[in-house]
Amino acid sequence: MSGGSSCSQTPSRAIPATRRVVLGDGVQLPPGDYSTTPGGTLFSTTPGGTRIIYDRKFLMECRNSPVAKTPPRDLPTIPGVTSPTSDESSSEACHSHLRSSPEDKPAGSEESQFEMDI
Amino acid sequence: MNNKFDALKDDDSGDHDQNEENSTQKDGEKEKTERDKSQSSSKRKAVVPGPAEHPLQYNYTFWYSRRTPGRPTSSQSYEQNIKQIGTFASVEQFWRFYSHMVRPGDLTGHSDFHLFKEGIKPMWEDDANKNGGKWIIRLRKGLASRCWENLILALLGEQFMVGEEICGAVVSVRFQEDIISIWNKTASDQATTARIRDTLRRVLNLPPNTIMEYKTHTDSIKMPGRLGPQRLLFPNLWKPRLNVP
Repeated sequence: MSGGSSCSQTPSRAIPATRRVVLGDGVQLPPGDYSTTPGGTLFSTTPGGTRIIYDRKFLMECRNSPVAKTPPRDLPTIPGVTSPTSDESSSEACHSHLRSSPEDKPAGSEESQFEMDI
Repeated sequence: MNNKFDALKDDDSGDHDQNEENSTQKDGEKEKTERDKSQSSSKRKAVVPGPAEHPLQYNYTFWYSRRTPGRPTSSQSYEQNIKQIGTFASVEQFWRFYSHMVRPGDLTGHSDFHLFKEGIKPMWEDDANKNGGKWIIRLRKGLASRCWENLILALLGEQFMVGEEICGAVVSVRFQEDIISIWNKTASDQATTARIRDTLRRVLNLPPNTIMEYKTHTDSIKMPGRLGPQRLLFPNLWKPRLNVP
């Protein structure tokens, strides 16, 4: 087997055909566009291994998950850049408290979410 | 035999369409594991996806930088001006950060958001960037927020299909226009840069007349301020590091 002369006799191993994908006529393929996979998420096998691929639509849907809505605990406060959402509205609320004009306070469900009494 | 081989090739390209990048990807993998190792020793707690969260292919870090007017500029001050916002490992963690950051279009002054793979600094000097380059797209005011969002979603979702090549993306808010750019590792790899360009066109939905420039980081370092119109902005953008004595 190791001899060069018997090279031609090497039992031919079939090229692995397991990668072959048979597609029926009705099978939907992404139309040359990776971002529009039917299931939203595509785990695709590339030479580098399996890669985790998400299309835009799927990512946008995750935006609404409860986890996604809480600010990260370690979010640094950078004025004008990071807005832990509650900050602005609650500081406004504080101001109106101080000015003792509760009518100025925007009353609404958003507000009560971030109530911060002083 | 030939036929069989051809048939196999067809299968391959149908699957993933990037035969030519086999070798670069393997190299990339190696680099990545090396980086991971060095990181885990030097970094604090590793960021991992929470239970039931959707993991990303890579961890990413958000950075923010702003030029302080009137300060002497040097590469040190560039590094000081750039702040880490945070690192995430899953789709949900990404939204936690993104939803609590202002949109680029609402930033004031001379500032940038950077989104880079964890462990790569948004600087030319980083090992991952030193042989790299970037695609640059100039946007008229009003487009940056939408384009940035589309760009980073494509990045996180691995839409570029260039293996390990992508380093990160930047949106730069300037006086008269905004600039978005995407950085990759190997400026000389034309197959990769072409693919990044085409993906950018697709995911950003750019008007057909949009001009895209590719610039290697070494060019950016060597020739500050002497090119044509594109240089009008970049001296500002990178001044901190161009004026190093």
